[in-house]
Amino acid sequence: MLRRSSKTIGSVLVWTVLVIAILSMIAVETLRLVTIKYQNALQTSTWQEALLAAESGIDLAIVELRKSLYPAPNYAWQSWTNSPSDGVTGYALTTVPNAGLNGMPMTIEANVDAPAQLIDSTNSWQYYRIRTVGTIPISGPARASDNPQDTKLRRLSLRWERFTNGILSPHALAAPQVSRRIEAVVRPVSAFDQAIMSVGVVDLTNQNIVVDSYDSGDPTKSTNGLYDVAKRQENGDIATDGQLIDAGNAQIYGDVATNAGTVSGVANIAGEERTDFYQEPIPIGAPSWNASNPSVTLVTGTTTITASPTEGSVASRYILSGISLSGGKTLTIAGNPDGSQTYVEIYVTGDISVTGTGQIVIEPGVTATIYFAGNVDISGNGVLNSNNQPSDLMLYGIQPPGNTPEHVNFGGNSQITASIYAPGHDVTVNGSGTNGHVYGSIVGKTVTMTGVSNLHYDESLGATGMINNYKIVSWFEDNR
Amino acid sequence: MVIKVLRPWPKSRAGYALSELLVASWIFCSISVGLVMGFTALERNYAATTDFAQNHADEMRISDYMAMDLRRAIAVQAAQNNTTIYIPAYYDSSGNPQTPALDGEGGVYYGTSGSSVTVHYYLMAGTIYRQQATAAPTPLAVNVQDFVFDVTDSGKVVTTRITFNPTFNSAGASANAITATAFYNTTLLRNSRTDINSSVY
Repeated sequence: MLRRSSKTIGSVLVWTVLVIAILSMIAVETLRLVTIKYQNALQTSTWQEALLAAESGIDLAIVELRKSLYPAPNYAWQSWTNSPSDGVTGYALTTVPNAGLNGMPMTIEANVDAPAQLIDSTNSWQYYRIRTVGTIPISGPARASDNPQDTKLRRLSLRWERFTNGILSPHALAAPQVSRRIEAVVRPVSAFDQAIMSVGVVDLTNQNIVVDSYDSGDPTKSTNGLYDVAKRQENGDIATDGQLIDAGNAQIYGDVATNAGTVSGVANIAGEERTDFYQEPIPIGAPSWNASNPSVTLVTGTTTITASPTEGSVASRYILSGISLSGGKTLTIAGNPDGSQTYVEIYVTGDISVTGTGQIVIEPGVTATIYFAGNVDISGNGVLNSNNQPSDLMLYGIQPPGNTPEHVNFGGNSQITASIYAPGHDVTVNGSGTNGHVYGSIVGKTVTMTGVSNLHYDESLGATGMINNYKIVSWFEDNR
Repeated sequence: MVIKVLRPWPKSRAGYALSELLVASWIFCSISVGLVMGFTALERNYAATTDFAQNHADEMRISDYMAMDLRRAIAVQAAQNNTTIYIPAYYDSSGNPQTPALDGEGGVYYGTSGSSVTVHYYLMAGTIYRQQATAAPTPLAVNVQDFVFDVTDSGKVVTTRITFNPTFNSAGASANAITATAFYNTTLLRNSRTDINSSVY
C-alpha cells in the first residue's frame, strides 16, 4: 500500500488554496469590471430614455394647445393645473409605468406659459414656451460612472435632483434617477400654410398647371403686393392626408407631400417629394357671437353690407340665413370711401349661390371673413375682390355634421383671389382656361381644379387667418 | 578472504543521465516558453480588449456630447476632427436661462438677435476637447490620438462617425478593422438653421 508523507499532502493543499485564491481574485476582478461597465451602460441608456421622456412632454403640451383650437367644448388643459397665460404656468405631471429600462416608470413634467414678449405684434398670435423634464429612476446603486467625463456629461441625480417641477431648484432624493430638461417655443401655424392642402385626393386634372408662390408683404417677392412672375418663389406646397395627388403634369415650385401615398403626373417638382405628411385639420365650428348686426339677415337681391373699422365689433358681424344672387344682382361689401381698413365677418347658416351675372363685390380696404354652413356655388366671375389680396377674402366652411356631403364650387373665373378653408367640403375650382389664375390658398376635404393654369400661393397667408396647429420654432436642452 | 559484494545504488540515490537532463530541460523550457507566451498573449489581449472597451465608451461619450449640441444647433461647420456647432445663447452671463424673444420672421432668439454660442470639438495632442464659447476646453476623451471623427452635414440631419485603431494586432489595425470600430450617430436638428435654408421639424 502506497502512503504519502504528510509534507506532500500539505503541499497539495497549499497549491490548491493558492490556485483557488488566484482564480477567485480573477473572478472578482472580472465581475467588478463587468458590473461597472453594466452599470455605465444602464445609466447611459436611462439617460437616453430621459430625453425621450422630456420630448414626450413637449408633445403632451402641443396636444393640449391643439385641443384648445377645436370648437368648444374641447376639454383643453383639463388635467392641468392652469390654462397657460402670461405669468401663469400650466403644469402637468404624467407618469407612465414600465416605460423605462427594467420596467422603471417614466415621469414627465410639462410647464407651459405664454409670456407677453412672445406675442407677434403683426397678427397678435401668441407663441408658447414649453419647459419639460423627463425623469427615469436608475436601477442599481447610487454610484457615479468610473469615468469623470461621463459623469460631467450625464449629470446623474444620485443624491440630489437639480430640477423641481421643471425649475432649477435642487432637492434631496431617496433613490438615484436621471432627469433631462428641454425648453421649446411653439408658434401658431395658419390654416393657410400651404398652397393646397386636402384631407383626401388632390386632383389638378391634367391642366399643366403651374403652382408657385409669392409674398405680398415682401417687396423682394412681389411687386406692389401683387404676384410678379419675375419674383417667383418656391413655396407653392401641395399636401394631402390621403394617398393620392394627381398633379396633372403640373410644374410645382414647392414640396409635394402625401400620407404614404403617390404623386402622379408631375412634370417637375422644385422641392421635395415626401410621403410622411399628416396634419389633422381643425374643424370650424359655428361662430359664437354674443350679438351681430341685424341690418341684413338674408341676401336674395342687390344688397349692401357695410364693414366696420373695428374688427370684431357688433357692427362688423352679420348672420345671414343664405345668399342667393343671380341675374345681375350684387352683394356689395362696402368699406370706407377712402379705402381705409375695415372689417366684416359674415356667418351664412345656409347656402351661398351666385350664378348668372350675380356678383359679390368686396370694396377696397375691406377684409371679409365669411363662414358658411351649407354649400357654396359661385360661377362666372361671381366674386370680385377689389384688394387683390387673398387675405382680404377668407372663406371658412363650417364642419358638416356626420358625413354629410357638402361642396364649394368656384366656376368660370379668370381670376380668383381668396383663401378657402373647408376641410369638410369637396372644393372644386374652375378657371377660365389658359389664363385662369388663382391667388391664395385652398384647404378642402378633396380639392379638384379644372381650367386653372396658375395657382399662386401668397406666403403672407401663413401669418394670417385661423390657427390650425402649433409648430416648434425653438428647441434647447438645458444641461446645467 | 573476504569477498565484497558490490550492490547497486538504491534508486532514491540514483542521478540523472545527461540525456535525461537534456530532455527534462527541453521540456521545462518548452513549457516555460509556452506559459510565458500564453500569459503574454493573454495580457496583450486583455489590454487590447480593455482598450477597445474604453475606446468604445469614449466613442459613445463623444457622440452623445455632439448629438446633444447638434439637436439644439442653429448652424454647423463640419470638418474632420474639427467641428464647430452654433447653439442659441440660452444662458446669460450668470449662467441663467434667458427669456426668448421673437425675431419678427416666425422664429425665436435668446439674448440678442443674431447671437449664438460656439461649441468647438477638436482633437489636439491625443485628446478630444469640447470648448463652449471662451470657457476652458473640456477634455472628452484622453489618449485618443488614433481617433477620427467625421461630421457629415446633410442640412436637417447631421451624421457623426467616429473610428479608432484597435490594438489586437501588433502589426497595426487593418482598414477593415478600423472601419469595424465605426460608431455612427444621426441627429435631427430641432431648430431651424441660420447658415442654410432649413425648416423646423
